[in-house]
Amino acid sequence: MLNVYSRHRSFALLICVVFAQVLLLAFQIKRDRDVPLIRYWAAELVTPVGRAGTWTSSKIRGVWTGYIDLHGARIENKQLQAEVDQLRLRNFELEAQAKESQRLQLLLDFRQAHPEAPMLAAQVIGASADPTSHTLFINRGEHDRIRRDMAVITPDGIVGKVVEVFSNDTAQVLLIDDKDSGVGALFADTRTHGVVKGTGDPLPIMDYVVNDEKVHPGEVILTSGEDRIFPKGLPVGVVKDASPGTPFQVIHVQPAVHLDRIEDVLVLLTRQDVALKSTEVPVDPNAQTAAPVAAPASASPDSKSTGASPASKPAQPSAPPQEPR
Amino acid sequence: MASMLSAGLRSDSNIEVHKYYGGTVIITAFLALVLQAFLHKYGRWSELIDLPLLVTVYFGVSRRNTSTGLLLGAAIGILQDALSFDNPIGLYGIAKTLVGYVSSSIGGRIDTEHPLSRFGLIFLLFHFHQVVFAVTQRVLLNHSAPFFTLRLLLDSVITSTVGVALFALLDRLRRSA
Repeated sequence: MLNVYSRHRSFALLICVVFAQVLLLAFQIKRDRDVPLIRYWAAELVTPVGRAGTWTSSKIRGVWTGYIDLHGARIENKQLQAEVDQLRLRNFELEAQAKESQRLQLLLDFRQAHPEAPMLAAQVIGASADPTSHTLFINRGEHDRIRRDMAVITPDGIVGKVVEVFSNDTAQVLLIDDKDSGVGALFADTRTHGVVKGTGDPLPIMDYVVNDEKVHPGEVILTSGEDRIFPKGLPVGVVKDASPGTPFQVIHVQPAVHLDRIEDVLVLLTRQDVALKSTEVPVDPNAQTAAPVAAPASASPDSKSTGASPASKPAQPSAPPQEPR
Repeated sequence: MASMLSAGLRSDSNIEVHKYYGGTVIITAFLALVLQAFLHKYGRWSELIDLPLLVTVYFGVSRRNTSTGLLLGAAIGILQDALSFDNPIGLYGIAKTLVGYVSSSIGGRIDTEHPLSRFGLIFLLFHFHQVVFAVTQRVLLNHSAPFFTLRLLLDSVITSTVGVALFALLDRLRRSA
Protein backbone atom coordinates (compact mmCIF):
# COMPACT_ATOMS: atom_id res chain seq x y z
CA MET A 1 0.00 0.00 0.00
CA LEU A 2 2.86 2.26 0.90
CA ASN A 3 4.59 1.34 -2.33
CA VAL A 4 1.50 2.18 -4.37
CA TYR A 5 1.22 5.48 -2.60
CA SER A 6 4.85 6.22 -3.25
CA ARG A 7 4.43 5.39 -6.92
CA HIS A 8 1.39 7.63 -7.27
CA ARG A 9 3.18 10.38 -5.43
CA SER A 10 6.09 10.33 -7.81
CA PHE A 11 3.71 10.11 -10.75
CA ALA A 12 1.88 13.15 -9.48
CA LEU A 13 5.19 14.91 -9.10
CA LEU A 14 6.01 13.99 -12.69
CA ILE A 15 2.75 15.44 -13.91
CA CYS A 16 3.38 18.62 -11.97
CA VAL A 17 6.92 19.06 -13.21
CA VAL A 18 6.00 18.35 -16.82
CA PHE A 19 2.95 20.57 -16.58
CA ALA A 20 5.02 23.39 -15.11
CA GLN A 21 7.44 23.14 -17.97
CA VAL A 22 4.63 23.04 -20.53
CA LEU A 23 3.27 26.20 -18.95
CA LEU A 24 6.71 27.74 -19.08
CA LEU A 25 6.98 26.83 -22.75
CA ALA A 26 3.51 28.15 -23.46
CA PHE A 27 4.35 31.37 -21.70
CA GLN A 28 7.45 31.82 -23.80
CA ILE A 29 5.61 31.02 -27.01
CA LYS A 30 2.48 33.05 -26.26
CA ARG A 31 4.35 36.14 -25.13
CA ASP A 32 7.19 35.56 -27.53
CA ARG A 33 9.49 36.20 -24.61
CA ASP A 34 12.42 34.36 -23.28
CA VAL A 35 13.26 33.60 -19.66
CA PRO A 36 16.52 35.52 -19.47
CA LEU A 37 16.97 35.01 -15.77
CA ILE A 38 17.35 31.25 -16.08
CA ARG A 39 19.71 31.61 -19.00
CA TYR A 40 21.73 34.19 -17.11
CA TRP A 41 22.05 31.95 -14.04
CA ALA A 42 22.97 28.95 -16.17
CA ALA A 43 25.63 30.90 -17.98
CA GLU A 44 27.01 32.32 -14.74
CA LEU A 45 27.14 28.82 -13.36
CA VAL A 46 28.81 27.10 -16.26
CA THR A 47 31.10 29.68 -17.87
CA PRO A 48 33.62 30.05 -15.01
CA VAL A 49 34.21 26.31 -15.09
CA GLY A 50 34.41 26.35 -18.85
CA ARG A 51 36.86 29.23 -18.72
CA ALA A 52 39.01 27.39 -16.21
CA GLY A 53 38.84 24.28 -18.37
CA THR A 54 39.87 26.22 -21.44
CA TRP A 55 42.78 27.82 -19.57
CA THR A 56 43.91 24.46 -18.20
CA SER A 57 43.65 22.68 -21.52
CA SER A 58 45.55 25.45 -23.29
CA LYS A 59 48.31 25.25 -20.67
CA ILE A 60 48.45 21.47 -20.91
CA ARG A 61 48.52 21.71 -24.68
CA GLY A 62 51.27 24.30 -24.47
CA VAL A 63 53.36 22.17 -22.15
CA TRP A 64 52.75 19.14 -24.32
CA THR A 65 53.60 20.77 -27.63
CA GLY A 66 56.36 22.93 -26.21
CA TYR A 67 58.18 20.45 -24.02
CA ILE A 68 56.94 16.88 -24.12
CA ASP A 69 55.89 16.24 -27.71
CA LEU A 70 59.22 17.29 -29.21
CA HIS A 71 60.05 13.84 -30.50
CA GLY A 72 58.83 14.73 -33.99
CA ALA A 73 60.69 18.03 -33.87
CA ARG A 74 63.91 16.27 -32.93
CA ILE A 75 63.56 13.81 -35.80
CA GLU A 76 62.68 16.62 -38.17
CA ASN A 77 65.66 18.61 -36.91
CA LYS A 78 67.98 15.67 -37.55
CA GLN A 79 66.58 15.20 -41.04
CA LEU A 80 66.92 18.87 -41.84
CA GLN A 81 70.45 18.94 -40.44
CA ALA A 82 71.39 15.98 -42.62
CA GLU A 83 69.80 17.72 -45.59
CA VAL A 84 71.72 20.91 -44.84
CA ASP A 85 74.97 18.94 -44.61
CA GLN A 86 74.28 17.25 -47.93
CA LEU A 87 73.39 20.54 -49.57
CA ARG A 88 76.49 22.18 -48.12
CA LEU A 89 78.63 19.37 -49.49
CA ARG A 90 76.90 19.63 -52.84
CA ASN A 91 77.47 23.39 -52.77
CA PHE A 92 81.18 22.86 -52.16
CA GLU A 93 81.30 20.41 -55.05
CA LEU A 94 79.53 22.84 -57.36
CA GLU A 95 81.76 25.71 -56.29
CA ALA A 96 84.83 23.57 -56.94
CA GLN A 97 83.44 22.56 -60.34
CA ALA A 98 82.72 26.19 -61.19
CA LYS A 99 86.26 27.22 -60.24
CA GLU A 100 87.70 24.33 -62.19
CA SER A 101 85.66 25.25 -65.23
CA GLN A 102 86.88 28.85 -64.92
CA ARG A 103 90.48 27.68 -64.80
CA LEU A 104 89.98 25.36 -67.74
CA GLN A 105 88.26 28.14 -69.64
CA LEU A 106 91.32 30.34 -69.08
CA LEU A 107 93.59 27.59 -70.35
CA LEU A 108 91.35 27.03 -73.36
CA ASP A 109 91.26 30.73 -74.15
CA PHE A 110 95.02 30.86 -73.86
CA ARG A 111 95.52 27.89 -76.15
CA GLN A 112 93.05 29.19 -78.71
CA ALA A 113 94.85 32.53 -78.67
CA HIS A 114 98.08 30.78 -79.61
CA PRO A 115 97.26 28.21 -82.25
CA GLU A 116 100.82 28.37 -83.55
CA ALA A 117 102.21 26.89 -80.34
CA PRO A 118 101.19 23.31 -79.68
CA MET A 119 100.50 22.83 -76.02
CA LEU A 120 98.87 20.27 -73.82
CA ALA A 121 96.70 20.92 -70.83
CA ALA A 122 97.44 18.92 -67.72
CA GLN A 123 96.18 18.65 -64.20
CA VAL A 124 98.36 18.74 -61.15
CA ILE A 125 97.92 15.43 -59.38
CA GLY A 126 100.48 15.71 -56.65
CA ALA A 127 103.54 17.36 -55.23
CA SER A 128 106.82 16.35 -53.77
CA ALA A 129 106.85 14.73 -50.37
CA ASP A 130 110.16 16.46 -49.69
CA PRO A 131 109.52 19.97 -48.33
CA THR A 132 112.82 21.22 -49.70
CA SER A 133 112.06 19.99 -53.19
CA HIS A 134 109.56 22.15 -55.06
CA THR A 135 108.16 19.80 -57.67
CA LEU A 136 104.75 18.81 -58.97
CA PHE A 137 103.31 15.77 -60.65
CA ILE A 138 101.03 16.21 -63.64
CA ASN A 139 98.73 13.72 -65.32
CA ARG A 140 100.61 13.70 -68.58
CA GLY A 141 103.50 11.42 -69.44
CA GLU A 142 105.36 9.66 -72.14
CA HIS A 143 102.15 8.49 -73.75
CA ASP A 144 101.20 12.11 -74.26
CA ARG A 145 104.55 12.85 -75.93
CA ILE A 146 105.78 14.75 -72.95
CA ARG A 147 109.58 15.02 -72.88
CA ARG A 148 112.11 16.27 -70.41
CA ASP A 149 112.86 20.01 -70.36
CA MET A 150 109.50 20.98 -71.79
CA ALA A 151 108.21 24.28 -70.40
CA VAL A 152 105.21 24.24 -68.09
CA ILE A 153 103.20 27.43 -67.97
CA THR A 154 99.82 28.90 -67.11
CA PRO A 155 98.16 31.89 -68.71
CA ASP A 156 99.63 33.94 -65.84
CA GLY A 157 103.23 32.98 -66.47
CA ILE A 158 105.82 30.24 -66.24
CA VAL A 159 105.59 27.44 -63.70
CA GLY A 160 108.66 25.28 -64.29
CA LYS A 161 110.01 22.58 -66.53
CA VAL A 162 109.50 18.88 -66.97
CA VAL A 163 112.36 17.05 -65.26
CA GLU A 164 111.10 13.49 -65.34
CA VAL A 165 108.68 11.66 -67.58
CA PHE A 166 107.10 8.44 -66.48
CA SER A 167 105.56 5.87 -68.72
CA ASN A 168 102.40 5.70 -66.69
CA ASP A 169 101.06 9.04 -67.85
CA THR A 170 102.80 11.02 -65.21
CA ALA A 171 105.51 13.64 -65.37
CA GLN A 172 107.40 15.54 -62.73
CA VAL A 173 107.73 19.31 -62.98
CA LEU A 174 110.47 21.32 -61.31
CA LEU A 175 109.05 24.64 -60.13
CA ILE A 176 110.95 27.84 -60.72
CA ASP A 177 111.33 28.43 -56.98
CA ASP A 178 113.16 25.14 -56.44
CA LYS A 179 116.77 25.61 -55.42
CA ASP A 180 117.95 23.64 -58.49
CA SER A 181 115.92 25.72 -60.91
CA GLY A 182 117.25 28.46 -63.18
CA VAL A 183 115.43 30.46 -65.82
CA GLY A 184 116.96 32.84 -68.32
CA ALA A 185 115.19 36.14 -67.75
CA LEU A 186 115.26 39.83 -68.56
CA PHE A 187 113.63 43.00 -67.33
CA ALA A 188 110.76 44.01 -69.58
CA ASP A 189 111.67 47.70 -69.50
CA THR A 190 115.49 47.81 -69.50
CA ARG A 191 116.03 44.46 -71.28
CA THR A 192 118.80 43.69 -68.79
CA HIS A 193 119.45 39.98 -68.67
CA GLY A 194 119.87 37.75 -65.68
CA VAL A 195 118.93 34.36 -64.32
CA VAL A 196 116.00 33.72 -62.04
CA LYS A 197 117.15 31.08 -59.60
CA GLY A 198 115.22 29.22 -56.99
CA THR A 199 116.44 29.44 -53.43
CA GLY A 200 114.18 26.95 -51.77
CA ASP A 201 112.25 29.87 -50.29
CA PRO A 202 108.96 31.06 -51.73
CA LEU A 203 110.68 33.95 -53.47
CA PRO A 204 113.31 33.15 -56.12
CA ILE A 205 116.05 35.66 -56.85
CA MET A 206 117.25 37.21 -60.10
CA ASP A 207 120.98 36.80 -60.24
CA TYR A 208 123.76 38.25 -62.35
CA VAL A 209 122.43 41.81 -62.35
CA VAL A 210 125.19 44.27 -61.61
CA ASN A 211 124.88 46.75 -58.79
CA ASP A 212 124.97 49.71 -61.18
CA GLU A 213 121.73 48.61 -62.78
CA LYS A 214 118.73 50.50 -61.39
CA VAL A 215 116.06 48.02 -60.42
CA HIS A 216 112.70 49.09 -59.02
CA PRO A 217 110.16 46.99 -57.15
CA GLY A 218 107.28 46.06 -59.39
CA GLU A 219 109.43 45.80 -62.47
CA VAL A 220 108.25 43.04 -64.76
CA ILE A 221 110.55 40.11 -65.51
CA LEU A 222 110.12 37.98 -68.62
CA THR A 223 111.80 34.88 -69.93
CA SER A 224 114.75 35.62 -72.20
CA GLY A 225 114.75 32.29 -74.03
CA GLU A 226 118.46 31.80 -73.35
CA ASP A 227 117.87 28.65 -71.35
CA ARG A 228 116.45 26.91 -74.40
CA ILE A 229 113.54 25.69 -72.35
CA PHE A 230 111.13 28.59 -72.01
CA PRO A 231 110.16 30.55 -75.07
CA LYS A 232 111.14 34.18 -74.95
CA GLY A 233 108.76 36.74 -73.49
CA LEU A 234 106.76 34.68 -71.01
CA PRO A 235 106.03 36.37 -67.66
CA VAL A 236 108.25 35.17 -64.84
CA GLY A 237 107.17 37.61 -62.16
CA VAL A 238 107.85 41.05 -60.78
CA VAL A 239 110.61 42.50 -58.64
CA LYS A 240 109.65 42.30 -55.00
CA ASP A 241 112.67 44.13 -53.67
CA ALA A 242 116.27 44.75 -54.69
CA SER A 243 119.40 45.45 -52.67
CA PRO A 244 123.11 45.75 -53.51
CA GLY A 245 125.15 42.59 -53.06
CA THR A 246 128.48 41.07 -53.79
CA PRO A 247 129.22 40.80 -56.61
CA PHE A 248 125.63 41.17 -57.94
CA GLN A 249 122.40 42.70 -56.69
CA VAL A 250 120.08 40.58 -54.59
CA ILE A 251 116.72 40.87 -56.33
CA HIS A 252 113.78 38.97 -54.92
CA VAL A 253 111.19 38.00 -57.48
CA GLN A 254 107.50 37.56 -56.85
CA PRO A 255 106.49 34.78 -59.28
CA ALA A 256 103.67 35.64 -61.66
CA VAL A 257 102.02 32.33 -60.81
CA HIS A 258 100.92 31.26 -57.36
CA LEU A 259 103.16 28.23 -57.30
CA ASP A 260 101.61 26.82 -54.16
CA ARG A 261 98.07 26.68 -55.54
CA ILE A 262 98.36 25.44 -59.10
CA GLU A 263 95.76 22.98 -60.31
CA ASP A 264 95.90 23.13 -64.09
CA VAL A 265 98.88 23.85 -66.32
CA LEU A 266 99.87 23.89 -69.96
CA VAL A 267 102.86 21.96 -71.24
CA LEU A 268 104.45 23.62 -74.24
CA LEU A 269 105.24 20.94 -76.76
CA THR A 270 107.56 23.21 -78.70
CA ARG A 271 110.27 25.72 -78.11
CA GLN A 272 108.55 28.05 -80.50
CA ASP A 273 108.10 31.49 -78.96
CA VAL A 274 104.67 32.24 -77.66
CA ALA A 275 103.62 35.79 -78.30
CA LEU A 276 101.84 37.00 -75.22
CA LYS A 277 99.83 40.19 -75.32
CA SER A 278 99.19 42.25 -72.27
CA THR A 279 95.43 41.80 -72.60
CA GLU A 280 95.72 38.05 -72.89
CA VAL A 281 97.85 37.37 -69.90
CA PRO A 282 96.36 38.96 -66.83
CA VAL A 283 98.70 38.85 -63.91
CA ASP A 284 97.10 37.39 -60.84
CA PRO A 285 95.69 40.30 -58.82
CA ASN A 286 96.71 38.55 -55.65
CA ALA A 287 100.29 38.55 -56.78
CA GLN A 288 102.20 41.60 -55.62
CA THR A 289 102.75 42.96 -59.08
CA ALA A 290 102.77 46.58 -59.96
CA ALA A 291 102.13 46.42 -63.67
CA PRO A 292 100.59 44.05 -66.19
CA VAL A 293 102.98 41.79 -68.01
CA ALA A 294 103.67 42.75 -71.60
CA ALA A 295 106.36 42.29 -74.16
CA PRO A 296 105.97 40.56 -77.44
CA ALA A 297 108.85 38.18 -77.84
CA SER A 298 109.41 39.10 -81.44
CA ALA A 299 110.02 42.73 -80.49
CA SER A 300 113.10 41.87 -78.51
CA PRO A 301 116.47 42.35 -80.13
CA ASP A 302 117.69 39.40 -78.11
CA SER A 303 115.47 36.98 -79.87
CA LYS A 304 118.36 35.60 -81.86
CA SER A 305 120.50 35.08 -78.85
CA THR A 306 118.86 31.83 -77.79
CA GLY A 307 121.11 29.87 -80.13
CA ALA A 308 119.43 26.59 -79.44
CA SER A 309 120.54 23.76 -81.62
CA PRO A 310 117.84 21.57 -83.17
CA ALA A 311 119.23 18.56 -81.38
CA SER A 312 118.84 20.14 -78.02
CA LYS A 313 115.23 21.22 -78.56
CA PRO A 314 112.44 19.22 -77.00
CA ALA A 315 110.36 17.02 -79.19
CA GLN A 316 107.76 18.80 -81.30
CA PRO A 317 104.93 16.39 -81.90
CA SER A 318 102.62 17.01 -84.77
CA ALA A 319 99.61 15.65 -82.97
CA PRO A 320 96.98 18.20 -82.00
CA PRO A 321 96.79 19.24 -78.38
CA GLN A 322 94.64 17.14 -76.14
CA GLU A 323 92.03 18.14 -73.63
CA PRO A 324 92.91 17.76 -69.96
CA ARG A 325 91.77 14.53 -68.40
CA MET B 1 12.92 -17.84 -21.81
CA ALA B 2 11.12 -17.96 -18.56
CA SER B 3 14.39 -18.36 -16.67
CA MET B 4 15.91 -15.39 -18.53
CA LEU B 5 12.92 -13.26 -17.65
CA SER B 6 13.07 -14.37 -14.10
CA ALA B 7 16.77 -13.56 -13.97
CA GLY B 8 16.27 -10.18 -15.61
CA LEU B 9 13.22 -9.14 -13.73
CA ARG B 10 13.64 -8.88 -10.00
CA SER B 11 11.29 -8.21 -7.23
CA ASP B 12 11.57 -4.83 -5.50
CA SER B 13 12.96 -6.50 -2.42
CA ASN B 14 15.96 -7.80 -4.37
CA ILE B 15 16.86 -4.48 -5.98
CA GLU B 16 19.88 -2.80 -4.48
CA VAL B 17 19.68 0.96 -4.17
CA HIS B 18 23.09 2.55 -4.57
CA LYS B 19 24.18 5.46 -2.45
CA TYR B 20 26.67 8.14 -3.36
CA TYR B 21 28.79 10.59 -1.43
CA GLY B 22 27.22 13.96 -0.85
CA GLY B 23 27.31 16.26 -3.86
CA THR B 24 28.34 13.51 -6.25
CA VAL B 25 25.10 13.66 -8.24
CA ILE B 26 25.07 17.44 -8.50
CA ILE B 27 28.75 17.73 -9.37
CA THR B 28 28.57 14.95 -11.95
CA ALA B 29 25.49 16.43 -13.58
CA PHE B 30 27.10 19.86 -13.57
CA LEU B 31 30.33 18.50 -15.08
CA ALA B 32 28.34 16.70 -17.78
CA LEU B 33 26.69 19.97 -18.77
CA VAL B 34 30.00 21.85 -18.71
CA LEU B 35 31.76 19.16 -20.73
CA GLN B 36 28.94 19.08 -23.27
CA ALA B 37 29.31 22.84 -23.73
CA PHE B 38 33.11 22.71 -23.52
CA LEU B 39 33.65 19.86 -25.98
CA HIS B 40 31.43 21.56 -28.52
CA LYS B 41 34.25 24.05 -28.97
CA TYR B 42 36.52 21.35 -30.33
CA GLY B 43 34.28 20.13 -33.10
CA ARG B 44 30.87 18.86 -34.03
CA TRP B 45 31.84 15.32 -33.09
CA SER B 46 30.76 16.14 -29.54
CA GLU B 47 27.18 16.40 -30.86
CA LEU B 48 27.24 12.63 -31.29
CA ILE B 49 27.21 12.14 -27.54
CA ASP B 50 24.53 13.35 -25.14
CA LEU B 51 26.37 13.44 -21.81
CA PRO B 52 23.49 15.06 -19.82
CA LEU B 53 21.20 12.26 -20.98
CA LEU B 54 23.73 9.64 -19.85
CA VAL B 55 24.01 11.20 -16.40
CA THR B 56 20.23 11.40 -16.10
CA VAL B 57 19.87 7.75 -17.04
CA TYR B 58 22.71 6.59 -14.82
CA PHE B 59 21.51 8.22 -11.62
CA GLY B 60 17.95 7.31 -12.47
CA VAL B 61 18.67 3.60 -12.71
CA SER B 62 21.16 3.60 -9.85
CA ARG B 63 19.15 5.44 -7.23
CA ARG B 64 15.88 3.93 -8.36
CA ASN B 65 13.91 6.79 -6.92
CA THR B 66 11.46 8.11 -9.46
CA SER B 67 11.00 11.44 -7.67
CA THR B 68 14.69 12.31 -7.54
CA GLY B 69 15.16 10.83 -11.00
CA LEU B 70 12.57 13.06 -12.61
CA LEU B 71 13.72 16.13 -10.68
CA LEU B 72 17.34 15.53 -11.68
CA GLY B 73 16.23 15.08 -15.30
CA ALA B 74 14.19 18.27 -15.12
CA ALA B 75 17.09 20.26 -13.68
CA ILE B 76 19.59 18.95 -16.21
CA GLY B 77 17.16 19.49 -19.09
CA ILE B 78 16.28 23.04 -18.06
CA LEU B 79 19.99 23.91 -17.71
CA GLN B 80 20.67 22.37 -21.09
CA ASP B 81 17.90 24.52 -22.56
CA ALA B 82 19.26 27.56 -20.81
CA LEU B 83 22.73 26.99 -22.24
CA SER B 84 21.41 26.59 -25.76
CA PHE B 85 20.90 29.58 -27.99
CA ASP B 86 17.40 29.25 -29.33
CA ASN B 87 15.72 26.44 -27.40
CA PRO B 88 12.84 27.68 -25.29
CA ILE B 89 13.30 26.68 -21.65
CA GLY B 90 11.51 23.40 -21.04
CA LEU B 91 12.06 21.65 -24.34
CA TYR B 92 14.88 19.43 -23.13
CA GLY B 93 13.48 19.83 -19.64
CA ILE B 94 10.29 17.88 -20.41
CA ALA B 95 12.16 15.18 -22.33
CA LYS B 96 14.73 14.61 -19.63
CA THR B 97 12.13 14.76 -16.88
CA LEU B 98 10.38 11.84 -18.50
CA VAL B 99 13.67 10.03 -19.15
CA GLY B 100 14.61 10.45 -15.48
CA TYR B 101 11.26 9.09 -14.39
CA VAL B 102 11.29 6.14 -16.78
CA SER B 103 14.90 5.20 -16.06
CA SER B 104 14.24 5.27 -12.32
CA SER B 105 11.20 3.09 -12.83
CA ILE B 106 13.11 0.63 -15.02
CA GLY B 107 16.08 0.60 -12.69
CA GLY B 108 13.77 -0.71 -10.00
CA ARG B 109 12.65 -3.62 -12.13
CA ILE B 110 15.49 -5.00 -14.21
CA ASP B 111 19.18 -5.66 -13.85
CA THR B 112 21.08 -2.61 -15.06
CA GLU B 113 24.57 -3.70 -14.03
CA HIS B 114 25.47 -5.76 -17.06
CA PRO B 115 27.11 -3.78 -19.91
CA LEU B 116 24.78 -5.23 -22.51
CA SER B 117 21.66 -4.37 -20.56
CA ARG B 118 23.10 -0.90 -20.00
CA PHE B 119 23.78 -0.52 -23.72
CA GLY B 120 20.22 -1.55 -24.56
CA LEU B 121 18.74 0.66 -21.89
CA ILE B 122 20.63 3.73 -23.02
CA PHE B 123 19.82 3.00 -26.65
CA LEU B 124 16.10 2.77 -25.92
CA LEU B 125 16.01 5.77 -23.63
CA PHE B 126 17.91 7.81 -26.20
CA HIS B 127 15.16 7.21 -28.74
CA PHE B 128 12.46 7.68 -26.12
CA HIS B 129 14.08 11.04 -25.31
CA GLN B 130 14.09 11.92 -29.02
CA VAL B 131 10.45 10.94 -29.43
CA VAL B 132 9.39 13.11 -26.48
CA PHE B 133 11.58 15.93 -27.77
CA ALA B 134 10.05 15.69 -31.25
CA VAL B 135 6.49 15.46 -29.94
CA THR B 136 7.01 18.52 -27.75
CA GLN B 137 8.39 20.44 -30.66
CA ARG B 138 5.59 19.39 -32.98
CA VAL B 139 2.75 19.96 -30.53
CA LEU B 140 3.89 23.01 -28.62
CA LEU B 141 6.23 24.76 -31.03
CA ASN B 142 4.74 23.57 -34.31
CA HIS B 143 8.22 22.57 -35.51
CA SER B 144 8.74 19.55 -37.72
CA ALA B 145 11.25 17.57 -35.66
CA PRO B 146 12.14 14.02 -36.82
CA PHE B 147 11.36 10.98 -34.70
CA PHE B 148 14.01 8.85 -36.30
CA THR B 149 16.85 9.36 -38.76
CA LEU B 150 20.02 7.46 -39.61
CA ARG B 151 21.98 10.20 -37.93
CA LEU B 152 19.94 9.70 -34.75
CA LEU B 153 20.61 5.97 -34.99
CA LEU B 154 24.34 6.63 -35.21
CA ASP B 155 24.11 9.08 -32.31
CA SER B 156 22.26 6.53 -30.22
CA VAL B 157 24.82 3.80 -30.89
CA ILE B 158 27.74 6.07 -30.05
CA THR B 159 26.05 7.50 -26.99
CA SER B 160 25.20 3.98 -25.79
CA THR B 161 28.78 2.80 -26.30
CA VAL B 162 30.21 5.79 -24.47
CA GLY B 163 27.53 5.36 -21.84
CA VAL B 164 28.61 1.80 -21.02
CA ALA B 165 32.16 3.03 -20.36
CA LEU B 166 30.95 6.08 -18.47
CA PHE B 167 28.63 4.02 -16.27
CA ALA B 168 31.56 1.80 -15.33
CA LEU B 169 33.50 4.88 -14.29
CA LEU B 170 30.59 6.34 -12.36
CA ASP B 171 30.17 3.02 -10.53
CA ARG B 172 33.41 3.85 -8.72
CA LEU B 173 31.71 6.84 -7.10
CA ARG B 174 29.33 4.60 -5.23
CA ARG B 175 29.52 4.60 -1.50
CA SER B 176 30.34 1.16 -0.22
CA ALA B 177 27.69 -0.38 2.03
